[in-house]
Amino acid sequence: MSQTRVDFAIVGATPQARLLAGLLAGTHGRTVLLQGESHAGYGLPRHLDLSVGAITRPQTWALLGDTVPEVHRLATRIGKRGAASRLDPLVLARSAAGQAALGHVRHMTSAFGLAAEPYRGKALSEGTAGVLLRDAILLQLTSAEAAVDDWLQRQGVLRLAQDESLTIHADGSGLARHADTEVAVGQTILADDMALLAHLPPAQWPELFVRQAASTVLTGPVAPLAAPVLHDLDTGLWVQQQAGGALVAFGPGATGTTARHLAALIGEDHRFEQAGQSDYGRIATRDGAPAVGRLGGTGADVLAGFGSIGAFLAPAVARWLCGAATPDEAAWMGAHLVNRRRDDASPSVRDLGAAA
Amino acid sequence: MMAQPARLDAAKAGAFSGAAINRSRPLQFRLDGRIIAGFAGDTVLSAVLAAGIYTTGQRDDGPLALTERFAPAIASASRGRGPQRPLAMARTPAQDGADYVTIGPDDSRLRSGRLARLLRPARSLGLRLDAQHGLPMPWRTLPGAAGPHAELIVVGGGVAGMVAALAGAKAGLSVIVLESAPVLGGHSRLFGTLDGEDTPDATITRMRDEIAASDAITVMCHAEVFAARTGIVRAHITTVDDGIVSASVVDLTARAIVLATGTVERLPIFAGNRLPGTVGTLEAFALAHHYAVWPGHSAVFATGSNAAYRLAMLANDAGVDTRRIIDSRPRPQSRFIEFSRAYGITQTTGSIIAAAQPARGGTGLDLLPQLTTGGALQDGALGAERLVLCGGWQPELTLWHMAGGASQWEAEPARLAPLGQVDGIVLAGSAAGWLSRQACLDSGTDAVAQLLDHKRVAIAEHLLDPIYETPDAPTPVAAADAGPAPAFLDGGQRLSRRAPPEPKGMLSRLVRRGRPVATAMLEPLAVADVAARVQLGHVPPISAGVVARERVAMVTIGREDAPSATTDTTAPLVPDFLAGRFGPRPTLWTLASPDGRQFDVGALLQPDQDQRDPFAAIGVVVRADREMAIALVDEGYGEVGRVLGLRENGRSTPVHLVSAYGAASDAALG
Repeated sequence: MSQTRVDFAIVGATPQARLLAGLLAGTHGRTVLLQGESHAGYGLPRHLDLSVGAITRPQTWALLGDTVPEVHRLATRIGKRGAASRLDPLVLARSAAGQAALGHVRHMTSAFGLAAEPYRGKALSEGTAGVLLRDAILLQLTSAEAAVDDWLQRQGVLRLAQDESLTIHADGSGLARHADTEVAVGQTILADDMALLAHLPPAQWPELFVRQAASTVLTGPVAPLAAPVLHDLDTGLWVQQQAGGALVAFGPGATGTTARHLAALIGEDHRFEQAGQSDYGRIATRDGAPAVGRLGGTGADVLAGFGSIGAFLAPAVARWLCGAATPDEAAWMGAHLVNRRRDDASPSVRDLGAAA
Repeated sequence: MMAQPARLDAAKAGAFSGAAINRSRPLQFRLDGRIIAGFAGDTVLSAVLAAGIYTTGQRDDGPLALTERFAPAIASASRGRGPQRPLAMARTPAQDGADYVTIGPDDSRLRSGRLARLLRPARSLGLRLDAQHGLPMPWRTLPGAAGPHAELIVVGGGVAGMVAALAGAKAGLSVIVLESAPVLGGHSRLFGTLDGEDTPDATITRMRDEIAASDAITVMCHAEVFAARTGIVRAHITTVDDGIVSASVVDLTARAIVLATGTVERLPIFAGNRLPGTVGTLEAFALAHHYAVWPGHSAVFATGSNAAYRLAMLANDAGVDTRRIIDSRPRPQSRFIEFSRAYGITQTTGSIIAAAQPARGGTGLDLLPQLTTGGALQDGALGAERLVLCGGWQPELTLWHMAGGASQWEAEPARLAPLGQVDGIVLAGSAAGWLSRQACLDSGTDAVAQLLDHKRVAIAEHLLDPIYETPDAPTPVAAADAGPAPAFLDGGQRLSRRAPPEPKGMLSRLVRRGRPVATAMLEPLAVADVAARVQLGHVPPISAGVVARERVAMVTIGREDAPSATTDTTAPLVPDFLAGRFGPRPTLWTLASPDGRQFDVGALLQPDQDQRDPFAAIGVVVRADREMAIALVDEGYGEVGRVLGLRENGRSTPVHLVSAYGAASDAALG
C-alpha cells in the first residue's frame, strides 16, 4: 500500500465546502482531498447561497463587500451565466422583535451602500412587515455540479468517495484510505452540517452548537409570491419560488412544521399541494452567528452557522486557513471562533442573530 | 347518445366478454353534456372508453391518451347542492341518469357549454392540459373525516393483500381491506399459471369467498389510499347509496398496516408513448377482462416481458387483429411465446418502438420500430389502431415513501426496491419486490407475521429457469430524436417528459454555453419517473432512493408537530445582536429632532452629520413610536442635549439626546 500526504481534507457537499476546496488547491497551492457527494444536488435543497442575509453587524457586511464580487466572478467562470442570478429577496417578520430586527437589518444594509427598502406591496398579510434587499446574488452551483466537479479537478482537488474511510484524529490531522493508498491528512475541515453530524466526536461537541431538526418542503405551483425569495425572521423559514411556480421552503422543525410555517407565511391566496419533502438534522449556533476554527482550539476545523452567506465567505475562509487573511478577515474569523463562549459578548458576533 | 365502438362482442370475446358488466342492463349518463351509454357494472371511465373517447385532452405538443392513470376527476353537474365532491372516473360506478362534469386544469364550463360541445372533438374529453403538473386530484387537498378503526389495515386487494387480510383475521385481528378497483383480485390473472399451481381465478375466487365469510374483515372497494404513515391512512372512498354516487375523504386508523400496493407498469420511453391509442398491458387486460373494452380492431404489442404475449393471445381470441409483438429481448423464451407462435402472431425480437405518431391516413398510430442496437428494421414502419406497451414492473412504493420508508436502486432488474423498515407498516407482494404468485401469497402471510412479531414465513420465488422463461428486460429507451412527439417518463398523473434532444449546430452550442450544465429537477416525481430518470442517466443510481423519497407528493396526516410559538407582541428594548456594538457600557437615551420627526428602528447615530462610516456609528435607534424614540448610545456620548447625526435613507439629520432612559435600562442591557 502506497502512502501520500495532503495538507487539507475537507468533508462537505455544499457550495461553501466545494468552493473552499477548490480555492485552497487552486489559489493557495495546497494539496486538498474532498469527501462529499457531488450529486447532493439531486436531493431537495437545504439552503440558499445568497450574497445577503438578515445581517446586523457591520463587520460581516464589510467582509461580504470584499468577497461577494470575488465569488460572483468565480461562480460565473465555473458554471457560466446560469451559475448566478440577481434577485430581490424579501425579509419578513410579524413579531415585535422580528420587526425591530428588520429595521436594524435594513439600516445596516443601507449603510454599506446596498439598497434595502420597506416592502410597500399588498401581498403580505396584515401585521407582517417586510424589507426588500435589492440586487442580491443567488448562486446556483448545485444545478451546475458537473461544472464544479470539472473545476475542482482542474484545481487539483483529490476526491474521496463517500464509502471510503476517513479517520480524524484529536489534533485535527487524519488518515484517509483511497483505493489502495493511505493518505495522511495534515488538517481536516468539517465544512457542512452533514459532515459535522457524521464526524464530530461527542467529546469535542462545542458548547456553542445546538443540534436541530430541520426540513425542506417542495410544493406544486402557486401564484407568484411577493418576491422570488422570502425569509421569515420569526420562524427561520426560507422560501424560494421556482420558475414554474413551485416553492422550496426550508427551516427548523419537521416537515409538518415547515409546511405549516409556509402556509402561514404565504396565506390563503397561495394554497399549495406538498410535492416533496425531506427531514434532516442541522447545526445551529447558540448566538446565531457563524463559527469557524478548530474544535477545542486544537482539533479539526469546522464551518457552521453561516446561513445563506457561507459560499460568499469561502475566499476569506480559505485565506485565513492558509495564513493569508487580511487584518479585517483575521479579526472577523478571530471573533467567530467555534470555542467562543456564549457570555463572551464578543463585539463581532451575533450578526445573524436577528431571528426572534 | 354515443354507440359503444370499443365494446367487444360478447359472443366472440372469449375471456374478454366482460366479467363485471351486465349487458342485459343498459344505462346512460351525461359527461360534460355528452350522453354516454354503458352497462350496469361499468365505471364511468370504462363506459367513456367503450364509447370511443380515447383522448383526455390537448397539450401544446399534442394529445394525451385517456387511461386509468390519466383520467380527470369528475363531479356531479348539479350545482347548488352543497360542496362538490370530486370523484375518480375509474372508481365511479356508472349510474343510469347521472350527470357529471370533468375537473381539469381549466374551467369545466368551457367544455360543457353548448358551443364547446359543438366544437369538441368527438374522441376527446377536450381538456386543455398545458398546466405544468398534470391533472388536478382535488381530493388530495380535502381534510380527512375520522373513519373506522381496525387492528389491521391492508392497502390493496390483490392476492398478497387478500392473503394478508385472511392471515390477520386468523390471528384474531379486525381487518379493513382498501382496494381501488371495483372488485378484489388484482392483476395476477394476466400472469398465468405454473405447473402444479391453482389457476389465478381459482385462487382469487377461493380467497374472495373466505373474506366474504369472515366477520373480522371489512372490504372497501373503490377506495384509493393516497396517504399513509404509522397508524393511519387517508383514503378517497366512493360509495353508492340508493343509486346516488358520492365520495368522501376518510382517515382510517390501525396499529398495523400492510401495503400490498402492487406494481406500476413502466412506460417504454419513446416519442409518442402517450398518444391516444397507446395503453399499458395491465390496463388493457383489466379493461378487456372486466368490461369487454378494447379500442380498435388491430393491435401491436411492444414489450420486454412475457405477460404481453398472454394478453396478445387473449386479444387474438377475442377477434383483435394482433399484428405483431415487438420484444426488446434478443432471444426471449417463454411458454407464452411458443403458444403465440402457434397462433401465428408475428414476433420481432431485439427490437423496440422508436417513435409513434397519429396515423396519417386515418385512425390509430403509425409506428417506427428499430433494433435495440439502434439500427433500422428491414420491414420498417407499421400501423395499428392500438399500441399495447409493457416496459416492465416497478414496485409501487409511493405510500411506503410517504410513510418514511427508504428505497434503493437495483441495477438488475433496473428498479427501485424497498429498503429498511417503517414502524407498524410492512410491504407485501409485488410492492415488496416479489414476482411470482406463490411468493406474493407467502409474503402476504409473512407481512402479518412480521407485524405481530410471530414466526416469520419463508418466502421463495417460484420462477421457471431462465432458459425456459426469459426474465423481463429493463424498460426500453429509444433515441431521443426518433420522432416529433414528446416522450413521457411515466403514464401517470404527473407529466414528466424526457428532455428534448440538444440542438445541433455551432450557433446552438454557443447559445448553450451560457447555461448551467445540469438543471435542477424541482418537481414532484412518481416512483416510475425516478426509475426512468435513472435509466436515462439524469439521476445517479446512488441518489435514486433519496430522490424517490423526497419527491413523493406528500399529504400530511396524523401526528402534528409541536405547535408554532405564538407571535410576541413585545420585543426586548436591546436585542442580543446589539451586544458590544457601542462600547462596553452603552446607555439608553430618549431622542428628539428639531422638526419633531418620527424615527426608524435601526437608524444609526453618528457623532456628527458628516460621518457616514457605519463602523464609526456611536448609537442606534432601538424604539420609535409616537410617544417616544429611544436610542442605545455609546457611554462616552451620553450627555443631555448632545447633538448627533441620524442617518436614514442616505441622508443625515441632526438629533439631540433628551434624557437618559430609566435606570431599568441598564438591567435590560445585561
